[in-house]
Amino acid sequence: MAAEKTERVMPREGSTEIHADTKGSKAVRIILITLSVLFLFIMLVMPLITVIYESFRKGFGEYLKAVTDDETVGALLLTLEATVIAVIINTVFGLFAAWAISKFRFRGKKFLVTLIDLPVTVSPIIAGLIFVLTFGRQSFLYSYLEEIDFMIVYAVPGIILATVFVTFPFISREILPVLEAQGTDEEEAAALMGARSFTIFRKITLPHIKWALIYGIVLCAARAMGEFGAVSVLSGHLRGQTVTLPLQVEILFGDNKYMPAFAVSSILMIMAVVILIVRSIVEFIGRRKGEE
Amino acid sequence: MKRKKRIIPGFGISMGVTLTLLSLMVLIPLASLVVFTSKMSFSEIWNVITRPRVLASFRVSLITALIASLINAVMGVILAWVLVRYKFPGKRILDGMIELPFALPTAVAGIALTSLYSDSGWIGSIFAKFGIKIAYTRVGITIALIFIGIPFVVRAVQPVLEKIDPLYEEAAGILGASRARTFRKVILPELYPAIFTGFGLAFGRCLGEYGSVVFIAGNQPYETEITPLIIMSELQEYDYSSATAIALVMLLAAFIILFLVNLIQIRNTKILKGGN
Amino acid sequence: MYIELKNINKSYGSFKASDNVGFGIEKGKLVALLGPSGSGKTTILRMIAGLERPDSGEIIIDGKVVNNVPASERGIGFVFQSYALFRYMTVYDNIAFGLTVRKQNKKEIKERVTELIKLIGLEGFEKRYPSQLSGGQRQRVAFARALAPNPQVLLLDEPFAAIDAKVRSELRKWLRDMIHQLGVTGIFVTHDQDEAIEVSDEIIVTNQGRIEQTGTPAEIYINPTTAFTSSFFGATSELTDYKAFENFDDIGEYDKAIIRPEFVKITKKNEQQKYKRSAVEGTVTDLQFRGNSFELTVDCNNSRFSARRGLDEPAVEIGEKVDVFIFRIFITQGNTVTLLKNNAVREETVVI
Repeated sequence: MAAEKTERVMPREGSTEIHADTKGSKAVRIILITLSVLFLFIMLVMPLITVIYESFRKGFGEYLKAVTDDETVGALLLTLEATVIAVIINTVFGLFAAWAISKFRFRGKKFLVTLIDLPVTVSPIIAGLIFVLTFGRQSFLYSYLEEIDFMIVYAVPGIILATVFVTFPFISREILPVLEAQGTDEEEAAALMGARSFTIFRKITLPHIKWALIYGIVLCAARAMGEFGAVSVLSGHLRGQTVTLPLQVEILFGDNKYMPAFAVSSILMIMAVVILIVRSIVEFIGRRKGEE
Repeated sequence: MKRKKRIIPGFGISMGVTLTLLSLMVLIPLASLVVFTSKMSFSEIWNVITRPRVLASFRVSLITALIASLINAVMGVILAWVLVRYKFPGKRILDGMIELPFALPTAVAGIALTSLYSDSGWIGSIFAKFGIKIAYTRVGITIALIFIGIPFVVRAVQPVLEKIDPLYEEAAGILGASRARTFRKVILPELYPAIFTGFGLAFGRCLGEYGSVVFIAGNQPYETEITPLIIMSELQEYDYSSATAIALVMLLAAFIILFLVNLIQIRNTKILKGGN
Repeated sequence: MYIELKNINKSYGSFKASDNVGFGIEKGKLVALLGPSGSGKTTILRMIAGLERPDSGEIIIDGKVVNNVPASERGIGFVFQSYALFRYMTVYDNIAFGLTVRKQNKKEIKERVTELIKLIGLEGFEKRYPSQLSGGQRQRVAFARALAPNPQVLLLDEPFAAIDAKVRSELRKWLRDMIHQLGVTGIFVTHDQDEAIEVSDEIIVTNQGRIEQTGTPAEIYINPTTAFTSSFFGATSELTDYKAFENFDDIGEYDKAIIRPEFVKITKKNEQQKYKRSAVEGTVTDLQFRGNSFELTVDCNNSRFSARRGLDEPAVEIGEKVDVFIFRIFITQGNTVTLLKNNAVREETVVI
């Protein structure tokens, strides 16, 4: 039994496990691992500990008070609203765009992909700026918007637009490589047998991209919740109205209310950590499924 | 135009949805930048971007982003190496943690780093004893940018390193090359394109970064004021022309970086796949 | 004719994939579309299936022009080169798919799928996923899936390309028997001449978007009518100057003189040879064991070509001087080909 077991494990390990000669000296190994752990501890873990430590500095009661503050709860709801809308729009976009790009041949495909990726290469401040220029006071659209009393800049719609913009390619970017690797054979075969578009998508395509889609949604949600720069430009910081959680953190910190600022941060931090864990699980399952 | 019938259904609708959403969300807003710029004269733009305070902000942004990205390039290779080649307890957690700067809202990172590196903070107080200030200086900005840029190089190098066959190194070893030489001559050249790509992406991100920097920077004009912050303050004063002019410079820089990254990737695939 | 293509043209940009293609296929025949890669054979198959549309020309199935009939309504089954099995469906669901999308009732579907699984000999594998099957099993599932809706025509794109050599010949026979047994009309694409000869009732040879020749495997092999076909079949070699060999008619200007190993008889100097008088001396430059025979490379009259020698014949060695006798030569002039027989054996019938 034991022999059989090692035999089954060996070949799999073989590809990643390095031969003793190429493993390098033990000293180098220890130095590099220590350096890495130290670097990540100082750069990533310490800030997290700081957030927790500062949040509970004045005790749990104060923490609870800061977290359940009306303004904070309002900010949380607005953040969730923007996040949900961004996820929905970008999922719809991501699915259609990835389908169009991976399943059909057409001219200008590369250009289209570049355009879709544009929002992530633009500084968040510029992302905010372009919406201010489009819908702000100096824009020709402004008078129309004023007529129908629909404010975008320094109002909730602006925050939502900014959030959608900065997360725009997140989902298509995750699905696209999977669909391209899969090719078009299966869909062609299904279409040939008379399957309708929705059937093809649901039965053939969706199972392939399921994990990439979930992963993309998770990434999109994470970024949407945490977006600061672009939202900051468009928000106007009207307390209780156009303030998302990250902006609430900024306001509290600016008012020297450090403890509450960290308490609000801790909500975002917990969300971030949960997202990372979900991501790891999704990736793990996805990889295992892929190997099957 | 000849209508081609495609066997897989849904081209019309998926292209329609894609282009509509893309236009509404990305193209029209970006176009408004172009429209707005076209109303300004070149000298107007030039006057804005050559203001001493703006020039100083370019310098601060460039230097801090460059140093941070260089440090990340070195650390990124080491981290990727450790994560791919070594086995040790807690490796999975370390690997998952790399993504934290993507997931953690920048504002949270910003205030946490500020408190950590201020004179009374855990790390800041150690340096304060020697009279070194970190928060509210360019060093502080650089640290925030290092935080932001960690995942880029690691995630670019990791998959390439995974694909390098250990046989390769064994071959070099058999030929008598020392370990360090093997790394320098055999492995590193394989990694260069990935390192440059990661470096370029991190550098681009750092130039535009706002949230994590704004708290720790101190925002002293000429000293620790980064370019995105100047745009922000111009916007708060409703000076859209100045904001747009400065934004154009940033966009230009971002596109140049993107172009170079693409160039490296294209060249690299050419070398690997051969042909032209 | 059950399937007919008339004056089909198809271009991709400046690349002409089909150049005035036309042919007919009788009902119940298994036909091979054979040609080198890029010769347009797959394009033809995909056009018949409805996966591509011709730029001009007519495709007729069972007397109806189907150019505007969608692929799913042409009554065809298609087996993809890589099978395109639905990776996230079981063997059962894969085979049932074509019936499910046609909204047949569950009971009928079950009956049909069970019948097909039995036919392909994969009972007990219903719940498996394609990744858990061997190459040959996957091909059988792809075959069953294509057959499930009872198509009258079965199209197969390089059906054996992804299968290892050992299973391949077994599957070839299986496929041929199956198609004949079911009475469907089959067309398959291949670049492998042995495969085409072994499996098909009829071969359509394609080259550069054109049809070179159609006929039974024997016809095409023995009587190639174009320069391309004559050099494509068999392990051909070219003679630099066929007139240097004795007893062949001189037909004047020509492009190429092509021979196959079976056109050549190699004998040792001391061996009995009926046509010894007309033989030419050559030198063995290479010798390779091929399992059932030796393949010799021979230099003779400034030409280098290959020939075979049986295992039961006395062995030859590299560098040995031997007698070379050539029975026949294909001479190409432009796109026509003439078969020249050695006059020394003219009176006798030669059977290859």
